[in-house]
Amino acid sequence: MTVTSETGGSPRPRAGHPVAGQGGDWAVEVHELTKRFGRIAAVDNVDLRVPGGCAFGYLGPNGAGKTTLIRVLLGLTRADSGTMKLLGVPVPAVRGRALARVGAIVDEPRFHGHLTGRENLKILAAARGGDADKQIGPALDRTRLTQRADDKVSAYSMGMRQRLGIAACLLADPQLLILDEPMNGLDPVGMHEMRDMLRGLTDEGRTVMLSSHLLDEVERTCDQVAIVDHGKVIHSGPIGELVAGAGVAVEVQCSDPAAAARVLGQPAIASSIDVTDGGLTVTLPPGSAREQTAEINRLLAEAGISVHGLRQTHARLEDWFLSVTSRLGEDR
Amino acid sequence: MTQPSLAAARPASWPPPLPLIAAKFLELRKRRILMSVTAAFTVATPIIFYGIRETYHLINPALYGPAGSRDALATIVTLMAQFGFIVAVMLGATAGTSDLTDGMFRHLVITGRSRLALYLARIPAGLSILVSLAAVGFTVTALATAFLGGPEPATVAAALPGDLFRSGLWFELYLVVGFTVGLGLGSLMGQRTVPVVLLTVWQIIITPALATHVLPHLINAQRLVVGVAMYQMKPAVLAAGVIVSPNGGEQLALPPMQTWAMTAVIAGWIVGWLAIGGWKMATRDA
Repeated sequence: MTVTSETGGSPRPRAGHPVAGQGGDWAVEVHELTKRFGRIAAVDNVDLRVPGGCAFGYLGPNGAGKTTLIRVLLGLTRADSGTMKLLGVPVPAVRGRALARVGAIVDEPRFHGHLTGRENLKILAAARGGDADKQIGPALDRTRLTQRADDKVSAYSMGMRQRLGIAACLLADPQLLILDEPMNGLDPVGMHEMRDMLRGLTDEGRTVMLSSHLLDEVERTCDQVAIVDHGKVIHSGPIGELVAGAGVAVEVQCSDPAAAARVLGQPAIASSIDVTDGGLTVTLPPGSAREQTAEINRLLAEAGISVHGLRQTHARLEDWFLSVTSRLGEDR
Repeated sequence: MTQPSLAAARPASWPPPLPLIAAKFLELRKRRILMSVTAAFTVATPIIFYGIRETYHLINPALYGPAGSRDALATIVTLMAQFGFIVAVMLGATAGTSDLTDGMFRHLVITGRSRLALYLARIPAGLSILVSLAAVGFTVTALATAFLGGPEPATVAAALPGDLFRSGLWFELYLVVGFTVGLGLGSLMGQRTVPVVLLTVWQIIITPALATHVLPHLINAQRLVVGVAMYQMKPAVLAAGVIVSPNGGEQLALPPMQTWAMTAVIAGWIVGWLAIGGWKMATRDA
């Protein structure tokens, strides 16, 4: 496995350029994995590969099967079929060895409330064995919990519990972190801190796989993403490529948006039109965005509609997500 | 990030490593209410009991005999066993469920440590608390019997150390049974309250009823009940203990059990419930 320098001097891999995986050395490999609850397939024949050394987003709406996949990967529940590897080690066959260098948070991080943060970490370090107990201090420092380490966890805020969860992960000196909705319950400052922490971890060459339904967070934090819906991975790749595939939109400010929508409502001009206050957003069909924008301007001028402004925008991950996931698409 | 050391092998589940036992011990020891209740029923009970008896004796020696009589020993050890069993069930059920109910079980499983090792660590951790507190409580009882008793015939006095030793062992065994059954049932059910209620009812109502009644068509199968086996194993010096039957009778309605039969029933309950709890722990979704 190729990793960047642990000193953090090397840049982390960017979208489309994972440091691992291209030679078959993946942080997470899932092949034809299925997990059913009764007749419902929470994870449905999923194939997934997470390159090493990157931040990987596992993105999907609530109930899409994100947490179930993570629970199966970590041996918290059994798969019905399929194969999995963590850091190249098959699970659950060699689960203990595979998890030795994996840190994970599943669902909301909960701890013994009657114990302090440090005592909870001591318990987890004892379970990990080896030198894990020596990591307690550095882990608390890194998550900025040292000052509150000797307070009972029952007095911790949600953000502090999330950070304690990260500290628990760091006891393993992990090559791979699997985080389930790490931004849940955090205020904007907490989200900002968590984002910085995750970036720092990937900068050290660690792989971070995080599940989330927060598109904006994934777009900001991750290099690569897999979109999951109804238990299936429906798309996977670098975020940049996914967003580029979502096409270009043109925001039009004009005197009569409703009339403009009628003029532009033809497949050759727009694949979709959203009318807003004082204007409209036209999603362009595949082709030259520059020429299509000029054509929009010409058509509106010929129709006697005053155009105050035209601005090309790239579709964001959210737009793409909404177009490919069934449930959110239905809600639009 | 240090270099990977994935080749590091995990140790076997048994014996669980000392740090793991110490971690569970810490978790249980820090439960103030549970520890207070355990100490109250194991240590405070004989102190209060003998304190009251000695006070009465000092006030009116003619009416109230020495505090540390043999009858008093039988009464207090039987009482401590009854209370202690319930406390032991509470401690066992807590040891078996606290990781799950507090949300720590997932964290522990994710460490890669075998679930069986995690489970087995609970046994010495919990027993070390229970057995040590029970030993303190019984030491109080033994001291009171030795130093607050009245004059006795030489043969009876000579037998006292042996009687106390057997009584102490029996008392500790009673609590070990309660702990292991509580641990197993708690681990099976995944919650603490219901096992404690069930086993309290079992111990206080059902076991005495089974022990003191001949049930038609049951061909004395009550002897498979651990409480009945424990009652039959009771040392002779404790035979004059408090009445355990709800209908006021103390005599067992069952034929006496052979020593091997009592031992087998008690061992079966301990091993059986531990195995059930371990199986559930190993297969439970986390």
